[in-house]
Amino acid sequence: MPEMDPTDHDIAELGPKIKDIDDEAELEEMLALEEGGEGRDPVVTLIEDRLQKVSGDDEGSDPASIDLTESTIADIANMIRGIDDVEVLQDVLEREKEGKNRKGAKSRIEKKIDDLQENDEEAEIEYAPPEERYPELDHPTNDKQYVEGTVDGEYRDMWVYCETQQGALIDVSREMLGKARELMDGYNEAYDESETVVAVLVGDEVADLAEECLAYGADRVVYHEDERLDRFRHKPYTEIFCHMCRDWGPGWRDYHEPRYTLFPATNNGRDLSALVQGELDSGLASDCSGLYIEAADISNPAKTGTPGESRTFERVLHMKRPDFSGFEYSTILCIDKPHRDFHPQGASVIPGSFEIPEADAEAEGEVFEHDTDLPEEWFHIEVTDYDQLEDGVDLAGNEVVVALGRGIGEQPTKGMELGLELVDVFEEADLGLSRGVITASYEFDTHVEEYVTEERQVGESGQVVEPELYIAAGISGAIQHKVGMDESDTIVAINTDPDAEIRDFSDYYIEGDLFEVLPRLTEALKEGELSRVVAGVDDD
Amino acid sequence: MTDEYEHFEAVVVGAGPGGAAAAATLAEQGVETLVLERGVDAGSKNVSGGLIYAEKSASYTIDSVFDGFREEASERPVSEYYIHNLAGGKVKTLDLSTIHHHDTEWCDAVLRRKMDSWLAERVHEKCSETGGGLLTDVRVNGLLREDGDIVGVTCDEIDPIRADVILAADGVNSELAREAGLMDWDDPDEWFQGVKAVVDMDPDAIDERFGVDPDDGVAHLFSGDLFEGVRGGGFLYTNEDSLSIGTVFHLDSLAERRAEPHELLDALLTHPLLDRWLDGEYEEREYAAKLVPDSKKAANPSPHRGRLLLVGDAAGQMQAQGPIIKGMNHAVTAGGLAAEAFIEARTRGDTDVAGDLYERKLVDEGVMAKLRPRRYRMTRRLSENRLATKVAGCLVDSLLGRTGMKLLDGVVERAFNSPFLLGMVPDTRTSYVTVPRVLGETLGERIEAENDIEPPDLADRIGGLTYDVGDPHIELLDESHEASGTAVTACPVSAEDFGGGCYRSETVERNGDTRQVVSLDTQPCVECGTCAVVADTHWEHPAGGNGVEFRDG
Ligand SMILES: Cc1cc2nc3c(=O)[nH]c(=O)nc-3n(C[C@H](O)[C@H](O)[C@H](O)COP(=O)(O)OP(=O)(O)OC[C@H]3O[C@@H](n4cnc5c(N)ncnc54)[C@H](O)[C@@H]3O)c2cc1C
Ligand SMILES: Cc1cc2nc3c(=O)[nH]c(=O)nc-3n(C[C@H](O)[C@H](O)[C@H](O)COP(=O)(O)OP(=O)(O)OC[C@H]3O[C@@H](n4cnc5c(N)ncnc54)[C@H](O)[C@@H]3O)c2cc1C
Ligand code: SF4
Repeated sequence: MPEMDPTDHDIAELGPKIKDIDDEAELEEMLALEEGGEGRDPVVTLIEDRLQKVSGDDEGSDPASIDLTESTIADIANMIRGIDDVEVLQDVLEREKEGKNRKGAKSRIEKKIDDLQENDEEAEIEYAPPEERYPELDHPTNDKQYVEGTVDGEYRDMWVYCETQQGALIDVSREMLGKARELMDGYNEAYDESETVVAVLVGDEVADLAEECLAYGADRVVYHEDERLDRFRHKPYTEIFCHMCRDWGPGWRDYHEPRYTLFPATNNGRDLSALVQGELDSGLASDCSGLYIEAADISNPAKTGTPGESRTFERVLHMKRPDFSGFEYSTILCIDKPHRDFHPQGASVIPGSFEIPEADAEAEGEVFEHDTDLPEEWFHIEVTDYDQLEDGVDLAGNEVVVALGRGIGEQPTKGMELGLELVDVFEEADLGLSRGVITASYEFDTHVEEYVTEERQVGESGQVVEPELYIAAGISGAIQHKVGMDESDTIVAINTDPDAEIRDFSDYYIEGDLFEVLPRLTEALKEGELSRVVAGVDDD
Repeated sequence: MTDEYEHFEAVVVGAGPGGAAAAATLAEQGVETLVLERGVDAGSKNVSGGLIYAEKSASYTIDSVFDGFREEASERPVSEYYIHNLAGGKVKTLDLSTIHHHDTEWCDAVLRRKMDSWLAERVHEKCSETGGGLLTDVRVNGLLREDGDIVGVTCDEIDPIRADVILAADGVNSELAREAGLMDWDDPDEWFQGVKAVVDMDPDAIDERFGVDPDDGVAHLFSGDLFEGVRGGGFLYTNEDSLSIGTVFHLDSLAERRAEPHELLDALLTHPLLDRWLDGEYEEREYAAKLVPDSKKAANPSPHRGRLLLVGDAAGQMQAQGPIIKGMNHAVTAGGLAAEAFIEARTRGDTDVAGDLYERKLVDEGVMAKLRPRRYRMTRRLSENRLATKVAGCLVDSLLGRTGMKLLDGVVERAFNSPFLLGMVPDTRTSYVTVPRVLGETLGERIEAENDIEPPDLADRIGGLTYDVGDPHIELLDESHEASGTAVTACPVSAEDFGGGCYRSETVERNGDTRQVVSLDTQPCVECGTCAVVADTHWEHPAGGNGVEFRDG
């Protein structure tokens, strides 16, 4: 007798205990006991899995060629456990019949064949709610009416949360509306539907923006205004969004929840998207950069409900997102399960991923005010202070970067002016700085002071740029600066020192005083003659 | 409120030799001990020359606390010890082995990253058994107080921690010692500045050029006229496959003379004498620097306040015995004694007396006598006064002095080898510069070799270090040249006319008025602590895991 008779225990108890049994013979005996008793499938599987792990030698013997007369019944049982191909099993069965023809062996092979064929005939997994399947666990979502509740609910439309700042739509809101329009046009055509793009505006005095939402692609706009909503706050924003799209009832919103939702992957948008999708009992694909709607073939039994079967899900929003390295993409799908829906299919979208569409001033649509009372307790968190960050400086997008270093030290303000004047000659150019300038104690006049920020720093602890032309004036070329610019197509350095480090990685090296060279460069470029400057310097 | 914080019996701040010895001793007696270290790895912030001594007279040595230390964590044993007095192309070499071996059980060269990280593993093992352990990347930023009493520590990265005893083994520039009012960073004459290069060298080349066995090593010290009159000297120690070459100068002298530490190091590296070992090859692995307290002036005789006990450099327990630098060994002894004091106090049921017991042990075990010799205190007043220095200098310089010196050849060597006399040596130019120079000039042999190696410039030295820069940890309070200008030269990674350093001289013009100022960028900072003393700054260590990371140390 084995130490434990499985028929005396229920499954939840057996799981952890069986993991500790390492003796093959003992497991075999337990298996026999279970099969002789109730023969509960999950228990049999559990013991068989353990057996396989313990014996560990299920490879090595090829079932097609093995000499069955040399094998014990247990060997055969072990061997066929790993075979899923009915034909191979038939062959094994035939050979057993021709050989020793043992009843125990044949019955096992036959049972395995039956099991496989049965599976093929749509053996749907019996559904039991998680509380029943795992009584030993607590089930914190039990009281969430929507979690296991909603099956085959009705979902329509794409809802887009349009974030605003200082009373205006931010660009990513426009980008999402444009993308939503495109997606839903395609959707309506493919599925012969007439679902819409719904824009959501929440804030203080946002009604004015409704027209703009229509112009960028919304069919409907739902807004909620309240002066207490002038800044983003988690509780009221989440409650309002969820109420609008799930509980609130203007005539057209006669469905359970939205089919799709989009949020911007901004600081606030990330927070809101997670809270809303959680409250709506669905999932979220965060920080996406690509979206399309397509059918998807899925074989995961958790989704299909039937092992071995693959099923086609229609109208699936494919949400592409970069992984953390930024080099690879995953496509995330949010798909219903047999006993639980996962809608809305929701994503947050990285700003700049999509084009801002042309605004269509003629666009028409409906605008609705979500006019409900907001309980005071939603506002128990107060925003006491806030700060407005400056717009970042992005040097990377420029054709030309004019960078200044500590060579401007004699007359810092003048040096900055000369740099800025040169920047102005080019169409797409901006000003970069070495760290040496930013951390200096130079006193700049106010009109150039605003440029002296870490945002313009090029190098290891600043930005990395590769413009077509990098002009480095008064920069020595320290390694930490070099790594931020040496991939530039053409590097021109201006330096009084005949062998500053930067010489080694410059294409043109102008030995001279930047206070003289920069104005001449600017002038020559205005006249369209770079060559004259270089020649002029050589003459000196 | 503070009850909610996690509590340990003992918190040890810093995992250098002092902290490691303290924590291991505590943990072995079952004291629940947590060690907090700001580096990414123990040792990643630490610099020594470094010869670690095991003194016969010490109650704790590194190998008595950590089994297998010498086999696993150190470089070569150092059995020979020479000092070279240099003057005008001549050298007079003295054998200081007698003083080196005096009271010495053994002495090994070490590299701190390897040593401290090895220690840290043992410490973590031992402390884990008590329910504590060692946490890296955590910087302690202050003392937790309750009704004014010290009850724990606060950190940048984790919640405050309460403890029955706090052992601050956080090294030179201890923020905790400063906060408790036990140490100040005001007076440059209480400190040395150590600067060091680790130089790659094949083990076979070391054996051959230094004439040592593969498992043996040597120490060479340098003094004389190669350092522009700055008081201090140079050292060269043999490691397994590298050399540690560096300088140690009195900070006040360095500041006063506006000397550039990296240039002084280069003066040593390029001195013709070194050619016999470098042989025209020079591959610098790492450049590093750190302040070193001078126990004669800085060691606090009562290094505790409430539950806070200071150990090692944090308490100024770093003994400069002539050219011999003993900091690590005293940190170990003090760590052991502080731990012992707490354990005793706990047995008595009154952990509050740990500090007093520790103070007494430092005296009873003879540590204080080594750190603050009475002889020095007596001679100092006399010979450090300028007039006396001058007179003595003239005397030595005079014909009489020189003739005397000649006659004394042999006696000098004996004098240098006397711990008694060395303990008395006053910190004047006479002893650091004049005597060695005269020795060299009078008794020296001419050096024939040429040394044409080229050490890397500062920019390359900075570029070779690893940094994880965070927020600036030093704030320049007064940017005027008068208040902070000294840092431009004294900072080991800054220099006049170098734009890539921490401190840079600048001229600013406002309303036609020109001023000399300095600006500060902490990115290349090696956290040596110099500008905390010589400039007007608010000085803190960077947050845990940030700042410079030494690979050799
Ligand atoms: C160039 C040079 C040469 C030297 N040569 C020798 C020599 O040959 N022999 C010798 O014995 N001594 C020598 N010394 C002195 C020796 O290095 C020190 O005396 C010794 O390291 C002191 O040990 P310690 O444990 O007290 O402190 P440290 O070894 O400095 O350890 C302090 C530890 O605390 C950590 N820490 C600091 N602040 C915090 C904080 N706020 N929070 C958390 N962790 C913190 C640090 O990262 C560090 O790991 C030399 C020093 C220098 C600079
Ligand atoms: C961890 C770390 C990270 C760092 N990250 C960065 C980083 O991201 N970006 C960065 O830039 N630096 C960085 N640095 C600093 C870097 O090491 C250098 O200190 C810095 O780039 C030097 O700036 P600079 O070239 O303007 O100044 P300097 O090195 O002082 O060079 C000034 C140059 O101007 C020339 N010159 C002087 N007068 C004139 C004149 N009238 N006309 C023409 N030329 C003149 C001089 O010959 C000299 O070559 C970092 C440093 C560290 C340690
Ligand atoms: S900035 Fe100060 S602490 Fe840092 S390396 Fe220079 S002197 Fe040392």
